[in-house]
Amino acid sequence: MMSATLLSVSNLNKSFGAVTIADDISFDIYEGEVVGIIGPNGAGKTTLFGMLAGTVGADSGTIKFGGSNISSTPTYVRAQMGMGRTYQIPRPFTHMTVADNMRVASMFAGGLEPAECGDWVKQVLEFTGLTSQKDMLAGKLSLLGRKRHELARALATRPSLLLVDEVAAGLTDAEVDEFIALIRKVRDSGITVVWIEHVMKTMLSATDRLLAIAGGKIIASGKPQDVIETKEVRRVYLGA
Amino acid sequence: MTFEENLYWTMIDIANALLTGTFIGGYYAMLSIGLALSFGVMKLVNLAHGDFLIVGAYLSAMILTVVSVPPVLVLIIVVPIMFGIGYALQRFLLNHVSVQAMERRGMSANFGLMAPILVTFGLSISISHLLLALFASDAVSIKNNLAFSAIRLSQDLSISLLRFLFFVVAVALLIGLQIFLRRTVTGRAIRAASDNPTFSSLMGIKTDHIFAVALGISLAISGVAGFMIGMTRTFQPFDGPQFILIAFGVVIIGGMNSIKGSLFGGIILGIVQVLAGTYFGPSAQLIGGYMLVLFVLSFWREGLFSK
Repeated sequence: MMSATLLSVSNLNKSFGAVTIADDISFDIYEGEVVGIIGPNGAGKTTLFGMLAGTVGADSGTIKFGGSNISSTPTYVRAQMGMGRTYQIPRPFTHMTVADNMRVASMFAGGLEPAECGDWVKQVLEFTGLTSQKDMLAGKLSLLGRKRHELARALATRPSLLLVDEVAAGLTDAEVDEFIALIRKVRDSGITVVWIEHVMKTMLSATDRLLAIAGGKIIASGKPQDVIETKEVRRVYLGA
Repeated sequence: MTFEENLYWTMIDIANALLTGTFIGGYYAMLSIGLALSFGVMKLVNLAHGDFLIVGAYLSAMILTVVSVPPVLVLIIVVPIMFGIGYALQRFLLNHVSVQAMERRGMSANFGLMAPILVTFGLSISISHLLLALFASDAVSIKNNLAFSAIRLSQDLSISLLRFLFFVVAVALLIGLQIFLRRTVTGRAIRAASDNPTFSSLMGIKTDHIFAVALGISLAISGVAGFMIGMTRTFQPFDGPQFILIAFGVVIIGGMNSIKGSLFGGIILGIVQVLAGTYFGPSAQLIGGYMLVLFVLSFWREGLFSK
């Protein structure tokens, strides 16, 4: 049975000068799935996330989220509507404690009253394994801590769609496994996930579907194993 | 003079410099908080800061020519007006040339650092000429019966009553501002937005609005400071730059992004100026002050109280 469409992108275009980042891209994301996005460096994956979250303006095209057209909706409203995003390089609010970072996310994007957000923040911290570090200044976290924090803060916004940008980069195998488990837990809690990653192992083991992007176009889409075996993807990745 | 008398007067001079300098520091802090706040939150170097202080002074003086109430009551009108000017300025002008605005348009963030400085420089020129057109170049002041009152601590030691009151206001305001930034919902949003505007919008914060509130608060405080200027001295349309020089001195000493640094920076600058004035004559006041600024800049680029 096909689930309802949560995110629908049609004919999205974006170029920086002569460099085309998105060339008439269209795709749908369905509720409850984990979709991986792969592609070579500079393929425009992160810019695509930027356009979805609204931090980067698209040249043309339509983005629908939960049925409403958000193409020209400002970032903060998209966050309030339930779009969460993490960055490859985590950037916590360094002068605030971990718990305060979560509080800000849950109050503004999550729409919780200051009095209600305590329980929710506690839940998120437990979920992501940050409880023992809640009173630490976020700027003092280790790399792994910052990666957890990045995911935790996006979850604290109470998203229905989570955009995850390269969480595995720089982590050990064991740590990567931990994040794969965490993302599965996120999916099981009912959140749809779109995930950019270079580490192929995570993409194969943790996603329901893959989109391969190169040269601003989607060159393959479908079951993970099928996608990486297509001619186009093999050519882009292996030069074969 | 006997040795004891000499010693006594030396002690009085030093005590006087410390006291006067400290209390002037409160006034200097008031002149500077707005600048430190807009830099700390928006990374905005507001070159029109001094002119906004003068706008606050003129607003206060003009209202008092229309209504006859105790001078301090004009702040009920001046503060909201200044807040409104700051809010509108950020929301409808500066937000459109900010780092984030440039990034949204796919331009280099460097434009976003440079453009607001140019805009406020233009504003500085426009504001002073507008004041000249409206009020001519006559020196204006706010008449009050406190300007020459003093609190006498001993036979030879006294402090200006106004300076003392300004100091109390400055300390109260700084404490209030810290609590506001730490405890309130809007305060948290301001801190998040100052840490990282892009990320705070991903956290659902309307940064354009939050930045506008921050510049509003900055100018509201400058309105109070402008009122203080008018209470203690005469002012003219082109006086802005001399006050922005004091404010820059204070924030360089105290730290560009530190609000409490404004108070300590103000006090240090005040004490050094009065000491220099006492021992080397009135003309040494400014020189002493700016030697200190250069000294701090050479060894503590971030200021003494920077976070």
